[in-house]
Amino acid sequence: MELYAIAATGLGAVMLLLTVRELVRRKKGLLQYSLWAMLWLAVILVGTVPQFYFALLFATQALGMYTPIHFVTTFSILIIFATMYLLVKRVAELNERVNRVVQYMAVNNVDDNISDSRRRKE
Amino acid sequence: MVLVVDDDSQDHTVELSRKAGATVIRHVLRLGTGGALSTGFRAALKADFEAFVTMDGDGQHNPNEIPVVLDPILKHEADIVIGSRLLKQSESMPLFKRIANRILSIVTSFASGTKITDSQSGFRVYRRKVLEYAIHGAWDYRWASEILVQAAKADFRIKEAPITAIYLPKRQRGAGVKDGLKILHSMIKRPENPQASCKAKPKA
Repeated sequence: MELYAIAATGLGAVMLLLTVRELVRRKKGLLQYSLWAMLWLAVILVGTVPQFYFALLFATQALGMYTPIHFVTTFSILIIFATMYLLVKRVAELNERVNRVVQYMAVNNVDDNISDSRRRKE
Repeated sequence: MVLVVDDDSQDHTVELSRKAGATVIRHVLRLGTGGALSTGFRAALKADFEAFVTMDGDGQHNPNEIPVVLDPILKHEADIVIGSRLLKQSESMPLFKRIANRILSIVTSFASGTKITDSQSGFRVYRRKVLEYAIHGAWDYRWASEILVQAAKADFRIKEAPITAIYLPKRQRGAGVKDGLKILHSMIKRPENPQASCKAKPKA
């Protein structure tokens, strides 16, 4: 067994176990779990069954990609861009909510002070 | 009553303001100038006052000029009075700021349908009914134009009074090019912020 195969199999197995543990602890949803599990299984397969790479080669060439690595890099970048967009959108939404909470706290804390000022004025 | 909104400042604003007898509202996180203003408006509306004067916290405005901006409100000639830095002595404003302010004021005037010479001035007076009708939704510098457009669309009367501005040699913060572009973009694309809280306009 080549060194890369041992590394890929080991890494895939450890990550698959961690992913299963996350599912058992209900920290991941079924869809999210399935996607990660598929990825780790593919990593294990690349390590243990080198022929799997050739199967991937046919599949990626059918999609118009020259080699599986082209497929992986191209789609990884696309997925990263999409994820970034969703994250930025989510951060903006959370920022808006945090701002509203900060303002709510500030306005409510001043209630007593304003009442005191009004009393002083009277 | 003097209300100071401390937008998570790192200096001695809170202690000094309290010592001077002001009521202080604190943000636990920095929200921006628009956020500080809207917090101040929401808090001030809880008190029983008919008019609200706003001033920036950078020492740019002279409190002795409050009677000048308050006068049209007392004479029932306006619902909002803007202390305009460009109606007199406009040379004191740095050239770059003057040009940017002029462009933003033209765009704001166009969006609101009211002639405004200094749309970015923070020295203003609002009649209570204006703030009961609408408080801007922007957290940043866009608030200045946004609230004017909202008020003008609801037929509140906007007037300007000449003020002098004090430009200190070392200013810590202020609107920059990015803020100017954001204001310009919002005025062209969507002058009335859907995040703003607008209620039914009270009868005059």
